[in-house]
Amino acid sequence: MSFWEEFLSKLSLGTLITLQLLTITIPLSVILGILIGILRVYGGRIGKTLANLYVYIFRGFPLLVTLMIMFFGLADIGIRLTPYWAAALAIIICSSAYQSEYVKMSILSIDEGQSLAAKSLGMKRSTEIFYIILPQALRVALPGIGNEIIYMILYSSLAYIVGVNEIFSAAISVNSIWFKPTEVFLVTASIYLAMTTMASYGLKKLEHRLWIPGFETRRKS
Amino acid sequence: MSDEIVLRVKDLYKRYGDRIVLKRVSFEIRKGEVKAIMGPSGTGKTTLLKCIDMLVKPDSGRIWLEDLELTDPRIDIGEARKKIGLVFQEFNLFHHLTAIKNVMIGLTKVKKLPKDEARSIAERALLKVHIDRELWDKYPAQLSGGQKQRIAIARALAMEPMIMLYDEPTSALDPQLTGEVLEVIKELAEDGMTSLIVTHEVGFASEIADEIMIMMDGKIIERGDPRKVIHNPRREETRRFFSKILKIGDES
Repeated sequence: MSFWEEFLSKLSLGTLITLQLLTITIPLSVILGILIGILRVYGGRIGKTLANLYVYIFRGFPLLVTLMIMFFGLADIGIRLTPYWAAALAIIICSSAYQSEYVKMSILSIDEGQSLAAKSLGMKRSTEIFYIILPQALRVALPGIGNEIIYMILYSSLAYIVGVNEIFSAAISVNSIWFKPTEVFLVTASIYLAMTTMASYGLKKLEHRLWIPGFETRRKS
Repeated sequence: MSDEIVLRVKDLYKRYGDRIVLKRVSFEIRKGEVKAIMGPSGTGKTTLLKCIDMLVKPDSGRIWLEDLELTDPRIDIGEARKKIGLVFQEFNLFHHLTAIKNVMIGLTKVKKLPKDEARSIAERALLKVHIDRELWDKYPAQLSGGQKQRIAIARALAMEPMIMLYDEPTSALDPQLTGEVLEVIKELAEDGMTSLIVTHEVGFASEIADEIMIMMDGKIIERGDPRKVIHNPRREETRRFFSKILKIGDES
């Protein structure tokens, strides 16, 4: 097999695995991030404390270390995860901690009058949160969340460390056989670039679709 | 106006830290009655309205909406708030909803009405405040202050409240836009809507109010027939207050 044959076949398999990993980690980390963000604002004393603790811990651990804990640490206490699931879990946990920060800040940025108006109509707290506050807050948070999604695409390469055969690990393995770092890593980098480009485009589209007059200033930022 | 009391406030007391905002405020409003509260800024007028809607919990004193005691902690306050229409100084329209959806959301999410029924009620409420069809699908950011405030009135009105509370409804508006809002409030009052209005518009208050209450330092210091209170007050403070705002103020 020639270099390019081997490289491209391994790389396309790696790309497939990376995409698979992202298909799970992106939606789950966004959903979890939103839930934790809500909990950090409306969770009451216990909910807030727990959610803040979660963020405090997992924003303070490097993703690489969290990854090790999920793979080796959990195995030590009898929870054996496959490399794929250990990586997915670590990325979801780490990213959701960051996502929750954007969500929390955006909820707090919604002016008090919105909440007063909702209450004055007789809305329950849950109705107010889901129909008045969140639709506005999530629009404000969207650029931040999008940024996190881009990071997630890049950080997925760390899954290589526990033996997931994703793009970066394919590149490493091909390079160790053929030692052509320039070709290998330029092509690898361009695949990541292609993925982030598509993600940015998708996010722009989404922002455009959710756009409402009056949210312009926030959208520009 | 009937003898039926819609709102009764008794000995309402509220303090923030060591600042006493409401010092045992008491009054009643009968069905169909229109009362105006006037007085210098920072004398507890807004707090009073917020207390009536229980958005601010009074420290002591009691409030009844007909037979329902709002200050009773056991009641479902959401149920009670449905029956009180509150209009804010800053409009507080929901930014992410169109004009008509702003009016509909209380009907669908609080009153649980089906969508088409909510829509027809919202349409009627919007027409009542002279918001025409071409504005129904606009977002708040695309509307003028006067339009926003009238939509906010429609939003409260659509819930079919027993009383409307207005918290300085024209203070955030450009002078040329206050007229359209005051006109709507007046029309509703003339239709028999029980109303409590905090306002600085002397002419307006004297025109539509059955009674003016003057609030200073958390107390109602004087109350009575508008013309008498404005032009021939018993208290020196009231006289000074009116001479000040009439001097700064306009043709009213």
